[in-house]
Amino acid sequence: MGREKARRLSGSRHFRQRLVLATLTSTAITIEDIRSGDAAPGLRPHEVSLLRLLDKISDHHSIDLNETGTKLRYRPGVILGGRNLEHDCGVHRGIGYFLEPLILLGLFARVPLSIQLKGITNDTKDPSVDTFRMATLHMLKHFGVPMEGLELKINSRGSPPLGGGDVFLRVPNINSTLTAANWIDEGMVKRIRGISFTTRVSAQMERRIVHSARGIFNRFIPDVHIFTDHRTGPSGGKSAGYGVSLVAETTTGCLISIDAAVSYPNVDEINEESEMPELMSPEDLGVKAASMLLEEVAQGGVVDSAHQGLLFILCALCPPDVSKVRVGQLTPYAIETLRNIKDFLDVKFIIKPDPNSNTVTLKCVGAGVKNLARKMS
Amino acid sequence: ALSSRSANLMQLVYGQASSKLDSAVSKDDGNETDSSDEEFFVPKGQKQAKTELPSLDDVDAEDCSKFIKVEQRDWSNEELIKSIRDRFVTGDWSKAALRGK
Repeated sequence: MGREKARRLSGSRHFRQRLVLATLTSTAITIEDIRSGDAAPGLRPHEVSLLRLLDKISDHHSIDLNETGTKLRYRPGVILGGRNLEHDCGVHRGIGYFLEPLILLGLFARVPLSIQLKGITNDTKDPSVDTFRMATLHMLKHFGVPMEGLELKINSRGSPPLGGGDVFLRVPNINSTLTAANWIDEGMVKRIRGISFTTRVSAQMERRIVHSARGIFNRFIPDVHIFTDHRTGPSGGKSAGYGVSLVAETTTGCLISIDAAVSYPNVDEINEESEMPELMSPEDLGVKAASMLLEEVAQGGVVDSAHQGLLFILCALCPPDVSKVRVGQLTPYAIETLRNIKDFLDVKFIIKPDPNSNTVTLKCVGAGVKNLARKMS
Repeated sequence: ALSSRSANLMQLVYGQASSKLDSAVSKDDGNETDSSDEEFFVPKGQKQAKTELPSLDDVDAEDCSKFIKVEQRDWSNEELIKSIRDRFVTGDWSKAALRGK
């Protein structure tokens, strides 16, 4: 698919997906007008950090950024992967921001990827590292990726604003292609699992979160178990925080997840508010998290709303067989993902609403993206 | 009615003209003749309040996969509990089996 012409894009939106899809299709891209109308134009620190990460795992690529950071030229090379790499994700976005593209790129690398990522493990903006460990990684097995090589270990946690978390990710590289999925039966929720955490605050906070979340779930299902993970000292990072990640497991093996966290504002928000805001109580957080999970269950679908985009990308990367999946209401992010998929992979989904269950089924024929980087043994 | 709803959904996703910005343009990468690198920018001040929902047309929209619902419903409400009771194994299995049929 090695096209010589660069695809022209504008703005900072969908930065990660554009980079991932450009890389997997060997399409050169030029992104212009990146926040050009903003008081602080150009790429943000987390986006630059992502480019550095991409640089770390690639070879024969080129990344050119103009002085103001408003224009990026990227010519993809080969994804190398590699063992025991390290990357500091900074404190502008959570580690989850980096994990999403990293998982996809790792699958198509020359050698398996293992990398230590430092930064914020749990915040409100990006999926938590617990969500990745409990739900996201398990999605891949529906597309033929063996679970053995997949691992996410949480060595230390870090809350905003200062982070200090540290996780270790392993992603296997696939032999050739993913396998198409027929994944439409969402099943019934049979149990709820989860993990609550505290960093640099009393362990009592966790018990309060768990207690109030259980109070909501008790009306639905008895099989609820939420582990606690109290972190002190270096393994608790540099800032105070607490939160919980929850997963509803269904009879058909679907994992519906959410996460919620409480901490002081991150470095980008601190300037706007002069005072430190009062933090949401653990009780309110527990109720909020439980309610969020029930909203996701009510939506239906084989994945939760945060995973729709990744699900569609996986379908589109499959060999030219039919993949069929069911989700709840399409999120704006998922809709944009479908457009990006069409632009880069030329894969168009057939989208059908199911009025019976208020879900949506999507069907596509994969683009047949192969792992060409992998060394032939 | 179903087919038209399906068509609407397809149109919602693929039909909008906003994607024409993203069309592939043939371009010689090595010797660029336009001077876009030197283009001046005019700061238009901070973007409007970040509380707005992400717009599908904002080219600088924030890159977040999480969909955060602002409204939180009261899940101790009997009506609401009933609305998803059959989504759990503790509910009515025969009703649940009808879903998606």
